[in-house]
Amino acid sequence: MTSLITIENIEIKAGDKPILSVPRFELRQGEVLGVMGPNGAGKSTLLKTLALLAPPGRGSVFFQGQEVGDVLALEVRRKFAVALQQSLLLDTSVYHNIAIGLKLRNRSRKEIKEKVAYWLEVFKISHLSKKHAYHLSGGEAQRVNLARAMILEPEVLFLDEPFSALDFPTKVQLLKDMKQVVENTKTTTVFISHDLVEIKYFTQRLIILMDGEIKQSGPTAEVLSSPNEAAAGFIGEWSELLS
Amino acid sequence: MELLLQGLRKAIEMILSGDPVILEITWRTLKVSLTAIMISTLIGLPAGMMLGLIKFPGRKLILTLINIGMGLPPVVAGLWITLLLWRSGPLSDFELLYTPTAIIIAQTLVSLPIVTGLTATAFQQINEKLIMQIKALGATKIQLVLILLKESRLAILAGIIAGFGRVIAEVGAAMMVGGNISGETRILTTSIVMEVSKGNFDIALALSFILMTIAFLITFCLTYLQQRKRSQ
Amino acid sequence: MFKIKRAFAIMLIMLVALMAACSSSTGNDATKDEPKESGEVERTDIILATTTSTQDSGLLDVLIPMFEEQQPYNVKTVAVGTGQALEMGSRGEADALLVHAPDAEQELVDSEDVVNRQKIMYNDFIIVGPADDPAGIKDAAVAEALTKAFDAKATFVSRGDDSGTHKKELALWKEANLDPAENGSYVETGQGMGSSLQVAAEKKGYILTDRATYLAQKDNLGDFEIMVEGDESLLNIYHVMEVNAEKHEKVKKDGAKAFVEFMIAEDTKKTIADFGVEEYGEPLFFLFE
Repeated sequence: MTSLITIENIEIKAGDKPILSVPRFELRQGEVLGVMGPNGAGKSTLLKTLALLAPPGRGSVFFQGQEVGDVLALEVRRKFAVALQQSLLLDTSVYHNIAIGLKLRNRSRKEIKEKVAYWLEVFKISHLSKKHAYHLSGGEAQRVNLARAMILEPEVLFLDEPFSALDFPTKVQLLKDMKQVVENTKTTTVFISHDLVEIKYFTQRLIILMDGEIKQSGPTAEVLSSPNEAAAGFIGEWSELLS
Repeated sequence: MELLLQGLRKAIEMILSGDPVILEITWRTLKVSLTAIMISTLIGLPAGMMLGLIKFPGRKLILTLINIGMGLPPVVAGLWITLLLWRSGPLSDFELLYTPTAIIIAQTLVSLPIVTGLTATAFQQINEKLIMQIKALGATKIQLVLILLKESRLAILAGIIAGFGRVIAEVGAAMMVGGNISGETRILTTSIVMEVSKGNFDIALALSFILMTIAFLITFCLTYLQQRKRSQ
Repeated sequence: MFKIKRAFAIMLIMLVALMAACSSSTGNDATKDEPKESGEVERTDIILATTTSTQDSGLLDVLIPMFEEQQPYNVKTVAVGTGQALEMGSRGEADALLVHAPDAEQELVDSEDVVNRQKIMYNDFIIVGPADDPAGIKDAAVAEALTKAFDAKATFVSRGDDSGTHKKELALWKEANLDPAENGSYVETGQGMGSSLQVAAEKKGYILTDRATYLAQKDNLGDFEIMVEGDESLLNIYHVMEVNAEKHEKVKKDGAKAFVEFMIAEDTKKTIADFGVEEYGEPLFFLFE
């Protein structure tokens, strides 16, 4: 598999405290990558760095082998999509929330209309199209959030705990739907989660991040079943609980 | 009670008869106040946005000063501006004292802190993650700013409404820097003060009805702008 | 339904509106002379500092248009308290003064802040009060009337604003050897003549007022009557003067001079003497013969 995004020499600090320290990391074309780690391990910072939403400090970010500087940042960022734990919808209707990314790219009204209709359908929320985003349930809002990301047909999709605030049945349903969507579109995905079940179900490769460093990286099943010494402290107890 | 009815009758009379002096004063009031609030908005909106979004040294101090400025008594603003514009003052060469421009300056000075401060507050309250999310949706810097403006429009318009309320109601500064000169700087509030001092309570009341009507109409328009589309 | 394009549009509209407003307000200087007569000579602004009581009488609304018709000046009449008007003179912030505080005016003449001071007209002060006259001061001499009011602890309303009228009132108390502030029923309003009269009517108190304002307001005051009048010490004398251009460089000497000359011209005098006769049945101002 070829590398889609590569980061090198990333050293991000808050004052003297290291937040993220990654000498080199590759996100491969087509993979669904899980990221796990305790709170404050640097997961979100890693995501922001990969998604070009935070400056890489002295390090570098390459997209398809080309280094991304300030000039390219917007162009490359527009090939990505991000969905966070909070749906953070705008103060307008569901329709316009989903359409926003395409509008920002100045796409034609016709194209926007067709695509919004399509993704409303995929996420089973066509009936909510005209509803104001502030009047949605948590599960509905998160579906809008994901549709808003997927409509961009991103080359890389970044998900930062998008299911964690949902109740169990809602979560299961949405997780299943989302996995379907990602598989159908073959979207390269970075998925941050605290939930081993989600990780196991959704991802192919897993990295364990602790204290800003990648402690282990490998196929998801392998990492979960045999964590190395550094990762064991974090994974071990989880695995016990599941087995 | 009789006086109130008399005033109301007089107001209707004066408006219906199209009294040129009343029309002129009303028109000047509108022009001056709207210009002042527009300048305040054009300066205060970007300034408030920057203060709300960008963290830099001295920001807290500036915000504190702006909050103090919200309570700046108009007569104090009027006094400062008078001293600056006086023939013996540093800005005397512009010959602005006792002109409508001087009133606009004074009214801008008293409304600018309100617009800036309330805009800054609105933008300080914006979730940082929302900003990141909007960037992640592919927004350029300008698009980001426009979306944030739209998201904060309730609070921003509240600031503009509050600023306009201050400007249209203001009398002390307008009296001082404008001089209430007939045909030049007489506006509704200064006319009311003058008519009261002359003892013409019916005319003063009539003017007050006109003032309240235009204040109401403009505030209503702004409120409509603020609240529309909530119907969805 | 709110689009980014619309946000743009709104900002654009605001910008355009602002520019329109700006251009019309800057164009104001050019347009403000229009109502007078088009195709006229260029006018110079001059500032006339006067007192609110002068403005309130309405006399200037008649005189200023007359002057502007005869002379190429635009008079900015700033009506303030006597104290402020005199201060504007001594600082060179005005070009001409029309005030009624002879002693204070003399100080400005002595300090050479003003020149060409001319006696214009007078009206008189009167003491008015509630018709039932609780202190029984009616028709007494000034000092006696004040003493009676003081002894009866009757309410006495004062402008208390350093105006010409206020100064006059204090001088009268002084002549009667009384300190009105000792009396708890002495009320200082800090407001103009009209408002102070209103306060006096509400509180059923006595008050020193100029006759012109009293006549203009009589109908609003209820059961109020003239108590004391006609005493020589009650004269209210108006002077007009130029602010000294030699001392204050920005003063517009020609305009100030033209205004003073206008005020003492025969036509003007006639207008002054006739002013108010039609409305009140008696003149508000009198000339010196």
